[in-house]
Amino acid sequence: MTQNRPLTRVFLAFTLAGSLLFTNISRAQEADQQNAAEGTQQGTEQAAPATDGGLPADDASISEGMSLFNSNCKSCHKIEGKLVGPALKDVHKRAPSIDWIVDFVHNSSKVIASGDAYANKIYEEYNKTQMTAFPTLSRQQILNILGYIKQETDALAAAPTTTAVPGDATGQGQGTDTGIPASYMNIIMIALVVVLLLILVVLILITTVLKKYINQKGELEEADKEIVDASFNINAVVKSKPFIFLVTFISAAIVFKVVIHNLYAVGIQQGYAPKQPIAFSHKLHAGQYEIDCNYCHTGVRKSKNANIPSPNICMNCHVAIKTESPEIQKIYAAIENDRPIEWVRIHNLPDLAYFNHAQHVEVGGIECQTCHGEVQEMEVVAQASLLTMGWCIDCHRKTDVNTKGNEYYDNLVELHNAEGKGALKVEDIGGLECSKCHY
Amino acid sequence: MAVGAALSACGAGGDNPGYEYAPNMYHAVPYEPLKQIVDPEAGTAAEWLDANSDGHGEYYNSNPLNPYGMTMRVPPANTVPRTKGGYLPYRIPKDSLEVASATAKNPLPNTNAVLAEGQILYGRFCDHCHGGNGQGPDEGSVGEVFAGVPSYSSAAVKNATEGHIFHVITHGKGRMAAHASQIGVEDRWKIVRYVQKLQNQ
Repeated sequence: MTQNRPLTRVFLAFTLAGSLLFTNISRAQEADQQNAAEGTQQGTEQAAPATDGGLPADDASISEGMSLFNSNCKSCHKIEGKLVGPALKDVHKRAPSIDWIVDFVHNSSKVIASGDAYANKIYEEYNKTQMTAFPTLSRQQILNILGYIKQETDALAAAPTTTAVPGDATGQGQGTDTGIPASYMNIIMIALVVVLLLILVVLILITTVLKKYINQKGELEEADKEIVDASFNINAVVKSKPFIFLVTFISAAIVFKVVIHNLYAVGIQQGYAPKQPIAFSHKLHAGQYEIDCNYCHTGVRKSKNANIPSPNICMNCHVAIKTESPEIQKIYAAIENDRPIEWVRIHNLPDLAYFNHAQHVEVGGIECQTCHGEVQEMEVVAQASLLTMGWCIDCHRKTDVNTKGNEYYDNLVELHNAEGKGALKVEDIGGLECSKCHY
Repeated sequence: MAVGAALSACGAGGDNPGYEYAPNMYHAVPYEPLKQIVDPEAGTAAEWLDANSDGHGEYYNSNPLNPYGMTMRVPPANTVPRTKGGYLPYRIPKDSLEVASATAKNPLPNTNAVLAEGQILYGRFCDHCHGGNGQGPDEGSVGEVFAGVPSYSSAAVKNATEGHIFHVITHGKGRMAAHASQIGVEDRWKIVRYVQKLQNQ
């Protein structure tokens, strides 16, 4: 059974690669055929230039249009598909006139206020989102942008299927890539087990053959014969003193270790990872999207607590992102009902100890990860550090104080250097005094 | 072995916070921010140590006078926070962007020190949408998915005044939300200085 696994995987990989190759070839052929068909269609379309209203088509204007589009329009409009504003595909055919487009770009609110039916229709359709006014763009520049949009529209119409193929192929390729190291490990481990078993079998065979050979020869003395034929007597071994001593010693040691280990775990919440009311992932927000810790935990440099963000900070993005997700809906519900989200507190420092975030992060310049672990890789946040007194003291003994450019420390540094005891550590500025944390 | 098995329940992990040695020294008696025990039964076992019996468990610390027993409260209306620089709250309403553009002036000098602090703050609060160089959607890790983020050097916002920038950070504009609750007045003016540098690059 176990031997079968890697083989089937290899076989699977082959068939997968084969089928992929095949589909790629067939799709490419299809795309070629479609291209040919659409090429003829385009020809007929271009024969009716009346709707294009003399948009520039020369390379210079279009490349200017492209750079203008990228720097000014791209953030809200795509050629195909809605973004913040409508798709701009065929906008020159759709809009009432080229002059209307120019007016709208220059000052959209003026066009809407004038009671223009088409402008008001779009305004309502996009939840009264007003387009930014671009009064600095000249009429010719806007025409160039439209020329670029027209060219892109035509290009899109010509190649809708060809773009899909490479995406598919790379997606599949990545899937098999990531699987390789794990399957290698499997193969190596299984091969190792098989080799060891074979060696065992061979050794047993050798001993039996040797025994047979010696017995057949029959030239052995009595004492030697006993050794060769000796059978393993379990009873005698179990009752022997060294064995009993060894067993009691090992079991006593294990019990001692387990008891001590578990007693030390009392009052330590390292590894505590409770389920939160909303399945918020730090891995996604802080890891993948690289949102700074300070963005949400706003109190960390100003107060004792780092703060759990209130829903209005979530809403900075989630007013528009993933609005349909059931987890995000919980935030909307909290805002609607004016009911706080009851997050479960993970880091519970005992009330007998004082800790201040601002002091450590803003003044001490300590990274969040030093105490909280690699939060940006945690799907569910778990307590990473011990948070015991020994853990605090250890850090206070090891950490240098950053005194550079801080007048407060000038005299302290002078006094410290006079005694000549190396770098100024946190313990040298009172970091080990009881009343610093316990009062 | 049995003792070991029994003790193994003491450690923390998953949903289990584990046991504590002296819980009545661990839990705060006064109301603490961000720490609320809503179960009135919590700590009834430790009641015999507590001289004043107040009708609930020793560790229960929710404020019955606040909604949902919250321990924190929103400051009373119309109170003004005192800040080190003596900054007063920004009072120009959201719909008066033109007024703000023309009148609001940056109280901070245009020095390298202010710019450097502005850059750090920009990295914390703006970078993920606007990008490290303020070039918008292609640069910011969030801006790419969020969409609608303009480049600071685009024609629409290139000439925006300092008052305009400050007003937009404070109240938001378009898809951008208000950031006044996260960034203080002085820090916002520092960011404005840095954004102006990015506009002119």
